[in-house]
Amino acid sequence: MQIVPAIDISNKKVVRLRQGDPTSVTAYGDDPLDFIRSYYEAGYRNLHLVDIDAALGESDLSLQSVVRQCTTQYPELNLQIGGGIRSLPQMQNLFAAGASKLVFGSLLFKDPAIVEEAMLLWGPERIIASLDVREEMVQISGWTEQTAFSIDRALLEVEKMGLSRVLITDIDRDGMACGPNIALYARLMSSFPTVLITASGGVRSSEDLRNLEDAGCSATVVGRAFLERTIPRIPRMPIRIIPCLDVADGRVVKGIGFQNLRDAGDPVECAQNYSSQGADELVFLDITATNENRSTQVDLVSRIADAINIPFTIGGGIRSICDAKELLAAGADKISINSAAVRSPSLIDDIASELGSANLVCAVDVKRVGDTWRVLINGGREDANCDALPWIEEVADRGAGELLITSYDRDGTGEGFDCEFLKEVRARVSIPIIASGGAGSLQNFVDGAAQADALLAASVFHFGTFSIADVKSALSFASYPVRL
Amino acid sequence: MCIGIVSTGIGNTGSVQRALIRLNLACCLVGNPEELSLVDGVILPGASAAGPAMDSLKAFGLADALQEYRKPFLGLCLGMQLLFEWSEEGDTECLGILKGSVQRLQSPIVPHMGWNRIRERNAKIETREEFYSISDFRFPISACAYFMHSYACYPTDPSIITQTATFCNQQICAAVQYRNFFGLQWHPEKSGTLGDQYLLSFASLCK
Repeated sequence: MQIVPAIDISNKKVVRLRQGDPTSVTAYGDDPLDFIRSYYEAGYRNLHLVDIDAALGESDLSLQSVVRQCTTQYPELNLQIGGGIRSLPQMQNLFAAGASKLVFGSLLFKDPAIVEEAMLLWGPERIIASLDVREEMVQISGWTEQTAFSIDRALLEVEKMGLSRVLITDIDRDGMACGPNIALYARLMSSFPTVLITASGGVRSSEDLRNLEDAGCSATVVGRAFLERTIPRIPRMPIRIIPCLDVADGRVVKGIGFQNLRDAGDPVECAQNYSSQGADELVFLDITATNENRSTQVDLVSRIADAINIPFTIGGGIRSICDAKELLAAGADKISINSAAVRSPSLIDDIASELGSANLVCAVDVKRVGDTWRVLINGGREDANCDALPWIEEVADRGAGELLITSYDRDGTGEGFDCEFLKEVRARVSIPIIASGGAGSLQNFVDGAAQADALLAASVFHFGTFSIADVKSALSFASYPVRL
Repeated sequence: MCIGIVSTGIGNTGSVQRALIRLNLACCLVGNPEELSLVDGVILPGASAAGPAMDSLKAFGLADALQEYRKPFLGLCLGMQLLFEWSEEGDTECLGILKGSVQRLQSPIVPHMGWNRIRERNAKIETREEFYSISDFRFPISACAYFMHSYACYPTDPSIITQTATFCNQQICAAVQYRNFFGLQWHPEKSGTLGDQYLLSFASLCK
């Protein structure tokens, strides 16, 4: 489903009306272009611009100049423009300025001949019929006038005219953020299967968007929920929960800070167990890996791959592209490098260009020193003598597909992820981040989810403090998407 | 029945091979046109980069053989991307079996990594059914599949798109089918039970 942010402009400000009432205006900002830029940067390529004043009567705003500025700056942006479009020269000017589609509401009823002419001139695919509905009846003229058309009859007429894109706004819900009228859209979509229905009105949460998508809507216009940030502008993928298994000589071991290691079973059995509990992926860190026992590692990887159907990463002692290839060929989905990358940064470029970035995780262990963070290597035993943030930027630039950030200060303490550091990392890189080190409570996971794409933990899962399902329901309760 | 897995020394053959073994599906590695002619269907796994992958397909004589392939073919991730004419990754000329290009994702976060919801598209399946249809496999609404990619396919003819996913507000081509050629951007070998079901459905076409 396509999500189309709406920017309603009145008196040159970005506004929202409640139920179309011009006396109930909330203003959000002075420059529509600021909003357009922020939506563009968040990845949206379709925007819905409405000149509210023009829709209600007269406007001194030239939407044309806004459209031209937008399309000059962002040529990939598709703008659908509505509000008070009444004449062919007006349409011609908007298309010439770069509008990709025009939205007609009242005009469909007041002057259908001009709509038909516009369809002939620019093609029906560039015209969106906009039907505003209150209690099943279509309203026009900024919702001040009721027509004699029920929504079903209006859709029939629109279909007859040859238009296939229809924006349906439920007036009673619009700007009220009380949830979209899913039943209405579902009914109309089954009655009019060939019409592409864009839903509008009342969307307030990511869950509403999921429900509309499940109902089969092809697109949804979202206004207030973005402006008031009740829906994040960049939608999150399900937050991945990743149990981490430390492996020594082919066995899973438990311990804190490499101390008091004790045997915790067979890696394959542990992997199957976590996989059936709903883990999204697994990380295996071979803490005893050396060149001499590479074959043990390769054998372990292939046994894990035989047993589970979720992705897993193997790390530990990978020093060359050959090591990486061998482990991928044995069935690992991703390989993780750490100290070797610090010693020889070009290893990142080599693996990324030959094996693809998506298979390469770069692990960075960090320790806080005053106001800065330092990189540690050799399993945290050695200070690499380098600042963590510039190193992380370099890792991303060189082609790592993902970061596994472990806070050495927090590891094993249960004090929570180092969110302050993760936030600094997020601001600097555009690759996914796995947070690690410090998870001790369910709240720690919720806090971590704000800064990272995936959350890794070991002891809370190994010692059964809580289950993966517990973590996922805590995240879900805090409105983060999870895979169930 | 034996499914071939294209293996030219690079790429992630391991996880696909292990998945087929786990599902009790007979499979073997295919490294040249003769071996390709002996199997009942073939999977081209991904997990490398477009340039080296095309170079090695050509070096092993498989590029031409795959273009003429008439049995069920399944390209996974990069394996699907290679079906198109050109990839922005390393400015690589690809197999050209499907019209269109492969371009880097234009999103605030790249790669597209993790579990994401799949949407089935119903449009125009009639052109597919005369060849094959994975008819017993439908993705349940809201179900997730595992993605890990930085580049995405842009078919010239959108009607070959059979599944989509949305990432950072952009719609991504998640699956294609054209004649005997199937492609998935996601990893069925890593997508839990649904991935297993997809692989079993594909295997049922290989007779």
